Amino acid sequence: MRGRRLGGWATRRLGDSATRRGHGALVVALVAGVFAASIGAADTHRLPVARTVWDSVYSAGQAARGESAYVKGCARCHGAALTGGDQSPPLAGSAFLGNWNGQSLIDLQQRIKTTMPSDSIGIYDAKFVTDVVAFMLKANGFPAGAAELASDDAALKDIAIRTSRPAPPN
Amino acid sequence: MLHHSHSRLFPFALAIALAFVGSPATAQNATKPFTTARGEWPSYTGDARGSRYSPLDQISAANFSTLEVAWRFKTDSLGPRPEFKLESTPLMIGGTLYTTGGTGRAVVALDAVTGALKWTHKEDEGPRGTAAPRQLSGRGLAYWTDGRDERILFVTPGYRLIALDAKTGNVVPAFGTNGAVDLKADIDQEILPDITTGEIGFQGAPVVGRDVVVIGAAFREGTAPKSYKNNKGYIRGFDVRTGKRLWTFHTIPKKGEPGYDTWLNGSAEPTGNTGVWSQVTIDEELGLVYLPVESPTGDYYGGHRPGNDLYGESLVCLDLKTGAKKWHYQLVHHPIWDFDIPAAPILADITVGGRAIKAVAQPTKQGILYVFDRVTGKPVWPIEEKPVEKGEVPGEWYSPTQPMPTKPAAYAKNGTSIDDLIDFTPDLRAQAVQIASRYKLGPIFTPPVVSKADGPLGTLARGPTNGGSNWPGGAFDPETHTFYVASSNAAAVVLGLVQPSKERSDMDWIAGSAAPAGRGGGLGGGGLSVQGLSIFKPPYGTMTAINLDKGEIAWQVPHGETPDAVRNNEALKGLAIPRTGQAGFTVGTLVTKTLVIAGDPQVTTLTTRPRGAMLRAYDKKTGAEVGSVLLPAPISASPMTYSAGGKQYIVVAVSGGPYSGEFIALRLPAGGPQ
Repeated sequence: MRGRRLGGWATRRLGDSATRRGHGALVVALVAGVFAASIGAADTHRLPVARTVWDSVYSAGQAARGESAYVKGCARCHGAALTGGDQSPPLAGSAFLGNWNGQSLIDLQQRIKTTMPSDSIGIYDAKFVTDVVAFMLKANGFPAGAAELASDDAALKDIAIRTSRPAPPN
Repeated sequence: MLHHSHSRLFPFALAIALAFVGSPATAQNATKPFTTARGEWPSYTGDARGSRYSPLDQISAANFSTLEVAWRFKTDSLGPRPEFKLESTPLMIGGTLYTTGGTGRAVVALDAVTGALKWTHKEDEGPRGTAAPRQLSGRGLAYWTDGRDERILFVTPGYRLIALDAKTGNVVPAFGTNGAVDLKADIDQEILPDITTGEIGFQGAPVVGRDVVVIGAAFREGTAPKSYKNNKGYIRGFDVRTGKRLWTFHTIPKKGEPGYDTWLNGSAEPTGNTGVWSQVTIDEELGLVYLPVESPTGDYYGGHRPGNDLYGESLVCLDLKTGAKKWHYQLVHHPIWDFDIPAAPILADITVGGRAIKAVAQPTKQGILYVFDRVTGKPVWPIEEKPVEKGEVPGEWYSPTQPMPTKPAAYAKNGTSIDDLIDFTPDLRAQAVQIASRYKLGPIFTPPVVSKADGPLGTLARGPTNGGSNWPGGAFDPETHTFYVASSNAAAVVLGLVQPSKERSDMDWIAGSAAPAGRGGGLGGGGLSVQGLSIFKPPYGTMTAINLDKGEIAWQVPHGETPDAVRNNEALKGLAIPRTGQAGFTVGTLVTKTLVIAGDPQVTTLTTRPRGAMLRAYDKKTGAEVGSVLLPAPISASPMTYSAGGKQYIVVAVSGGPYSGEFIALRLPAGGPQ
């Protein structure tokens, strides 16, 4: 029974190393030029999906419905402004987007449906959850369109969450 | 109520257990056979002092980036469904790792070298578990031994204290009633409305010292409670051998007790909460216990509890054996910011101006480290009562002053001003300023406001609820007297109040927005972000070292990869943005002989490596990042380390987004022929 190594992801990374900068007695290395991130680098495509959340995948009316549902069913823990609570993660902004970037909407839908609300899991039906998802998309700045987001797995599976708008095809 | 206990002792594990029972180390020192100094991790924070320090040094700057996965343990099957919020830090004693895991908070014992399962124990609590205010796997366990018996203690979601035989995972029948103490009973109050659904629980790890186990109390998220009345979060000490209650500390004083008069109009009677949902710390040498007490009922509105509200948001020191109060210091008077006290107080033996001080250092959401002489309760550096703004919410009571430490300087941003808004480009700044114009800005202790659709929607705050440093707390290096903490600068919270309907709450005011949720920005973006960017300037998250002999920040660096939303942002194209760090309130720190280790709270997707989150190592003297390894999901709990079979291991919990909970053990690669 020696330690086993499961493949599939690398355990090593690039050798970033911090530098620091003296500032009087206080040594603060808040900025170090060597870390400059490469702005504009494309997301890595992780899923073979054609559509993304940038493709107007929900309707404004659905997001409004989702908003009411959110206020009723989610805001108590996740906050009226989706900023999160003591125990509950934010549902808008870079932390939320980073953790879901590259995943599909079915992942988000299932995560909500199978874990929320935490003290009475499973009371929200698929449509309720999809409406909330539509509202979360709106709150995160993704555009609305004419058609509603369908709550069936197949439809949700084909829509990728992407932090930034994909570059238009050449 | 059903009790299931599954003991799965594999033959080899049995052999280890038997060898362990007979080991001379167990008999040598009956009170403290296991310590971090011996390469073990016998308490949630390594020791009972909150240190998160281990002197192990096999994993170093020279080799950290070569760490490999030794084993992985997925927690999906420990409960009825996968868990996505794994916050437990395991214990390691005598070659066995003990941890909670899974949505129903099972306890498992794993082989420390292989990760192989030795036993599991799961309490099925039925509706009582389902109704629990603090669900899921919790933060961990306590271990106790008298040199012969070895026990694992944990608190179930339904608020029962269970003692398990560490060797088998079976309950210890002599403890409490058939191995369990009902924590909703014998608590100097009737838990309402009934034992099954009555709101009180605990997801932190119990802590044991001098044969006393101390248990905290926690409630639901409290920004919009259903009532200004609630159960009270009294803190109790129990005999670790019998489960007998030894003492109860009334975190809200009863009539006739000191502090009762800090609740005006008899408001100590209906008010509840005021528990300790984070970690209790014990000084075994001095026989003292330190409680970081949370907010009273109503996180942002205290009109139903006028007065300073002791011991809300106070650090309280008790006698470990009797529960008698030794001293207290209220960090926030009349709490209305949900600062709580969110983390383990840290015992720090320091030398200030040539004088040795047994100190206690308290990290907070407000990004301020409060440092006291832990014997006397006197501040090590002066804490001044500073005048603060009086608010205008009808019915609210305001403290005219708040305590402000003179040293050390705040390690996280704890207020908001126009100058804090992003200025990457004039356009982004203009959008951030427009969003901010709908809120009231101000320094720490700017009070909540009534939310108005035409503004202000609320007070825009950083610190309250999930800012600064939260439940993972900090770490302390006893050799260099340095405190380390990861913290967030970008957790924007809106302190806006609305009048609830009678059906929703009997509070006069609860948290809410006069504008429809999510439209706070009014620009189509996330309420408080601009094109996916925080409206606040980076760094979003930092790692800070504070020298506690001097009370000065030694170094501070951004912690966490620059988020995808920044790196890939069209609006920032062509700009060179230094590493921003990440906002997050799940970042725990671990200190070893030479390193400070902490994980990224967010996943990033780079072109140069697979999607994932980094576990990072910093040179603890300088803050220089000296290594990192890629993990598949956010690091969602404080890392721990131990030595087993001649190798040092680091174990982290990862979970979040679509990735369910998993423990990952890292160690150096096999040496190979030299």
